[in-house]
Amino acid sequence: MKILTVCSTGLGSSFITQLNIDKALKELGVTGVETDHSDLGSVNKGDADVIFVGRDIADAAKDLGDVVVLNSLIDMKEIKEKLAEALKRHGLDIHEEEQTA
Amino acid sequence: MLDEYFSEGTVMYRDGVADWEEAVDVVSGPLLDLRKIKPSYVDAIKASIRKPGGTYIDLGQGIAMAHARPEAGVVATSLSVLKVGRPFLLDDSQDHPISTLFCLAAQDSKSHLSLMQSLATFLSDGRNQERLGKATNVEELRAILKEER
Repeated sequence: MKILTVCSTGLGSSFITQLNIDKALKELGVTGVETDHSDLGSVNKGDADVIFVGRDIADAAKDLGDVVVLNSLIDMKEIKEKLAEALKRHGLDIHEEEQTA
Repeated sequence: MLDEYFSEGTVMYRDGVADWEEAVDVVSGPLLDLRKIKPSYVDAIKASIRKPGGTYIDLGQGIAMAHARPEAGVVATSLSVLKVGRPFLLDDSQDHPISTLFCLAAQDSKSHLSLMQSLATFLSDGRNQERLGKATNVEELRAILKEER
């Protein structure tokens, strides 16, 4: 499974989001998910199973497939929740009960 | 430590700024003086913010990261930050009140990994977000960046 984070320049906001998703994956105990970041102009539908974007480019990214819109790119709670939903949607098991606070 | 990425004079505090453009000018100023970026990079940041969806640099929690493509005029990978006492509106948008504006100059999209890792870890920590929001001078800001978790 592949997750892509996308912003307009492809090296600031999207990079930070990718690193936060990596962190969330770790916290969720999920392995084997590939992550990367990119700019809006070079992403095509099908490049990833799930695409995470900030709210400001939600419209521009809406045709890219399974797009998850984040209100904040640095709110770990929101990222973790939306990531867990996306992983479940794609059939990945999450062992949230193993989580510590 | 994140603090190491901020050269002398690149951590700033102001009570307020006239508007978001002044905020971009202030935060990028030291990087221009240190010749880490060219004036064209500042223009590119402003142009990017004005574009539809340009407020995507608002990361949330009153924190934004001004940046543009490396080819717009980055000389050396660098960072600066401006905290304002009174939030300004990014692109004059009520949806985007900002009190902490970082300026990121990255030479390419991959090599600034360690810097971005430090920054992502720092910014996604709720306690750091709160402390940044409360900081009222450069010394406090430096201390927060130094104690990065």
